[in-house]
Amino acid sequence: MKKETKILLIIPAYNEEENIEKTYSEIIKYNKKKNNHYDVIVINDGSKDKTEDILKLNNIPHINLIHNLGIGGAVQTGYKYALENDYDIAVQFDGDGQHDINYVKDMVKPIIDGKADFVIGSRFVKKISKFQTTHARRIGINIISFFIKLFTGKKIYDTTSGFRACNKDIIKMFANGYVTEYPEPITTVQVLKNKYRLEEIPVEMKERTGGVSSIHTWKNIYYMVNVILSIIVVSMRRYNK
Amino acid sequence: MTLNLKLVILLFSFLFIFVIFYILRKGRMPIKYALVWLFGLLVLLIISFIPGLMSTITKLLGFQTPSNMIFAMLIGILLFINIALTIIISGQNEKIRLLIQEVSMTKNDKKTDNNSKKGKK
Repeated sequence: MKKETKILLIIPAYNEEENIEKTYSEIIKYNKKKNNHYDVIVINDGSKDKTEDILKLNNIPHINLIHNLGIGGAVQTGYKYALENDYDIAVQFDGDGQHDINYVKDMVKPIIDGKADFVIGSRFVKKISKFQTTHARRIGINIISFFIKLFTGKKIYDTTSGFRACNKDIIKMFANGYVTEYPEPITTVQVLKNKYRLEEIPVEMKERTGGVSSIHTWKNIYYMVNVILSIIVVSMRRYNK
Repeated sequence: MTLNLKLVILLFSFLFIFVIFYILRKGRMPIKYALVWLFGLLVLLIISFIPGLMSTITKLLGFQTPSNMIFAMLIGILLFINIALTIIISGQNEKIRLLIQEVSMTKNDKKTDNNSKKGKK
């Protein structure tokens, strides 16, 4: 008989007092309904609001970062936790209500079946998601997509999706080194360059129900330049795999 | 090269070296970081000490006047030191991030943890 796969949901949270409880209770509800157990770890990235109190009050498993690290540093803490506690699969899941717990099963499946090492939950594959994104953001995502295709040869549609699942090898890789700034597209390149098998799976995303998105409009050009340069640099690195 | 310029460079270099040694004596900078500065100043001193060297280099590199070359050299040295500093800062950022993560995780370990029913290693 196969050993049961241990699955961890990594939820980075920065000033998510409005959403985090709802997100967590939905996961618990789902676990009960499907007789499942996804473990959860919320990484509280030095929130300035009541996020920490809410986490404590509701007994939500969490790690409080003693200082704000930014999304990359927070998520990496989650991967370190996953590695330390010997999880087989880690799923990055947003705390702001954008991601739907019902899709985690689909995302984890290719990894359990051994068909993929890394799975991205995508808004743009098959377009089952009603909520797409703003026009400007879409253009940005397409440009990043083009550069990833140029440097790795693989077409990724939703390059900025924060809904991702990965297996143990990649947990280890991320725990040891994770891009701290704008991690999503860059880590995708890192995964591809290391010759891991990547799969993009259609998921539905909701518009965020509260809080403020971490990407601001006026930073967009800086963001694009930064991401494109990083893609080039990460592609030029040597990998021994 | 005029004697005046030579004197200015000498004076400037010695003053700077004095300042660095003062800082070092007070223990406010480790020697490894001071070395970069001392090395730059040493280059400057050597060039101004050896007669004829400055004019030769100036002509060789196509500068109009020795003072121009001194400027360019100083900018070069500063650029080099700046890049070195950026690398040092990045390394420290990395270490700080690691510290924050590890300390936060250790703090969390002490508290009860809902995920680990079987107990951790």
